[in-house]
Amino acid sequence: MNSATPPAIQVRSVTKSFLGQRALDDVDFEVARGEVHGLVGKNGAGKSTFMKILSGAQPPDSGQIIVGGTAFKALNPAEGRAAGIAIVYQNPELHLDLSVAANIFLGAEPRKGFGILDDKAMAARATELLARLGLDLPVNQRLGDLDIADRQQVAIAKAVREKAHVLLLDEPTAALNKAQAEFLFRLIRDLARQGMAIVYVSHHLDEVLAISDRITILRNGRKVAVVEGKSADKDGLISMIVGRTLDAVETHRSERLRADPFLILEGVSSQGGLDNVSLQVGKGEIVGVTGLIGGGANALAAVIGGLDHRDVAGRMMLGGQSYAPRAVREAIARGVLFIPEDMRGRGLVMSLSIAKNISLAALKSLSKMGWLKLSKETGVATEMSERLDLNPRAPSREVRFLSGGNQRKALLGRAIFADGKLFVLEEPTQGVDVESQRQIHDHLRRLADRGATVVFVSTDLEELIALADRILVLRAGRIEQELSPEGLDPQQLLVAIQTQSARSVN
Amino acid sequence: MTSSAATAAKPVVRKSGALRGQDLGRYTLLIVLLLIVVVTAIGNPRFLSVNNLMNILFQVSALGIVASGQTILLIAGGLDLAVGAALSVAGLATALTIMHTGSVTLGILAGVVSGTVIGAINGMLVATNRATPFIITLGTMTFLQGVAIIMSGGSPINGTGKLFDVFGLGDFLGVPWPVYAMFASVLVMFLVLRFTTLGRYAFAIGGNEEAARLSGIPVRRIKIALYALSGVFVGVAGVILTGILDSGLPSMGTGYELRAIAAVVIGGTPLIGGRGTVIGTLGGVLLLGLVSNSMNLLGVGANFQSAVLGLIITAAVLLQKKA
Repeated sequence: MNSATPPAIQVRSVTKSFLGQRALDDVDFEVARGEVHGLVGKNGAGKSTFMKILSGAQPPDSGQIIVGGTAFKALNPAEGRAAGIAIVYQNPELHLDLSVAANIFLGAEPRKGFGILDDKAMAARATELLARLGLDLPVNQRLGDLDIADRQQVAIAKAVREKAHVLLLDEPTAALNKAQAEFLFRLIRDLARQGMAIVYVSHHLDEVLAISDRITILRNGRKVAVVEGKSADKDGLISMIVGRTLDAVETHRSERLRADPFLILEGVSSQGGLDNVSLQVGKGEIVGVTGLIGGGANALAAVIGGLDHRDVAGRMMLGGQSYAPRAVREAIARGVLFIPEDMRGRGLVMSLSIAKNISLAALKSLSKMGWLKLSKETGVATEMSERLDLNPRAPSREVRFLSGGNQRKALLGRAIFADGKLFVLEEPTQGVDVESQRQIHDHLRRLADRGATVVFVSTDLEELIALADRILVLRAGRIEQELSPEGLDPQQLLVAIQTQSARSVN
Repeated sequence: MTSSAATAAKPVVRKSGALRGQDLGRYTLLIVLLLIVVVTAIGNPRFLSVNNLMNILFQVSALGIVASGQTILLIAGGLDLAVGAALSVAGLATALTIMHTGSVTLGILAGVVSGTVIGAINGMLVATNRATPFIITLGTMTFLQGVAIIMSGGSPINGTGKLFDVFGLGDFLGVPWPVYAMFASVLVMFLVLRFTTLGRYAFAIGGNEEAARLSGIPVRRIKIALYALSGVFVGVAGVILTGILDSGLPSMGTGYELRAIAAVVIGGTPLIGGRGTVIGTLGGVLLLGLVSNSMNLLGVGANFQSAVLGLIITAAVLLQKKA
């Protein structure tokens, strides 16, 4: 890093708020040419927002982005690309039905004249480019036939073809195995050596430490520090990520009766990523499941919820009887209710009312011979709205008009009304305000008090400690650690999550 | 997280405005078409005579029945382009059965059953394949057009006896029987949509198929049931149109698919599904009937009428995109 040359990209006091909440607060940031710059922070620290502003997907409220000597108040994606900024997501946005070469040259295809594509020249130039990057990919193959690691390489090759000089990588190793990840790191180092500036966002602190020249730490939307990669260590990073937490997290853990195990897993493995998981969860128990992305927490939820039933090996028991759902509705019939993180895409029917969303999973109980009892439905929805303190208390209002917190409550209401005995939740309070979070936690505790079982997946450290009776840390599809939240502070929990993974970095 | 928070905020800020704007956009075409009607009525007083209005209802009766069935498919995010060709097949099945057996009852049965079976098959193909309903039913539509020509041997199957007496000539209290059949179809679909689990599932699948699946709804089975239900309506329409024409024709259903879909869309059901009403569809059907009738009265030629119909359908779809 030569201090004489200007940085490849520079950000000056960028601020961004959503709904009056600061997502980014006066953040400065710069990456030099040839530098790999790690960006770390826990969920909600502002990493995603920051990446969106860098790539031009969202405008900042104030501040400047200086790239290639030009200062922008805000970039749009086209300007970002023109300025040489490329972003590669963990699932690259490419065209699966086009060939590798066609993806790399999309929008800049070599032509013979009269607009006729020159496929041969394109293949030749793609081969040459890939060779230069040390990549061995079949240029004429349909991209959809390649695995995710190869697709990522294609996305990077495309960025190089577009003459990008700033490359943003968002959780690039989340879906890669060890060998693929190592290959990616070599590629990243090569690109940096050739002058590319690289921003590397990841939850895998080991990887970030190994690959980064410098690391910026974000916390609550603020830049906490920039450290040299060589001199940093993981414990130091973790304490900066978590911050001083003098106040113990409030827990409100009540003494619940732990009855016999309600859910039992014995040696369960799945194509979705579980590897020989054994687990017992009692009635009235709340179990938090966490880990790094791809560690298996969501895979566990999918198997229990009946979403993932392909090649599930091992044995599951529910309420003393064998449990092997082959569809979500079989799980629901046994009282197992899965509540997805993505409530807009997978949870709620936005065009329907609160009442109709609440009743959706248990319409049979509100009907006779296929005929609905509408007044009963309204009554049930009103009751549920009161119980969950849904605002507004108007069952006929369409759910799309509700706030995020109230939408999550409506989704919980659906699961409760479907006579849930085991609730499987993903990120139960993601994106909701503090008050709604507290309420949702209270509702889940109350359910457990009444004998229900709760298994929730979360990456929110405070939430895990506040809500869970027991925290499971999954890694590579296995339960790596089991922690009691009693006296646990977020920093210790993050250390446990980050403990050297099976996928080591050289 | 941030994006969901941001989008959730929008309706809070301009709740009522967004609501009204959207509803207005959805019904713009209805309003415009009503204006056309008013203008025609002023230009030609005969337009609003009871006789003429009854004539319009009679002319759109088969369309109204097909469109009622199509409504629930669009609400569920589906579509059936094969309904026109299926109507021809059902009508021919009716006419041929009456010709060979002399039994009107068997003829009616043949028409309704063939419509239902064709619908169910379309439903199975749609539910078990990744291709869009548009492409799948475009394929079956072409196939069924061929089947209709084979069934008829290329010429009309004439003579339906009592069926013609009832649907072609008969009335009750001055209202032709096919008009009763249309209103009955609308009523049945209204009840299904509002008061049955099947109707509710249609809304849920059209609004968010993944959420429906995660709520334990047997999405495939419901889709098949919905296409079969629409097929019942198509079969009934085929029987009635055969009666009206006193014959089965291989081309009798031609164009019905587009006019039915147009009526549903004009009636405010969005092509992406998740919402919609059959009452709106009835409005769309009546307006299509009124418009072509007013063009007849104003002496507009058939080719020009087709162009106007095309414009209306295009406008309906474009206006929906905005809303």
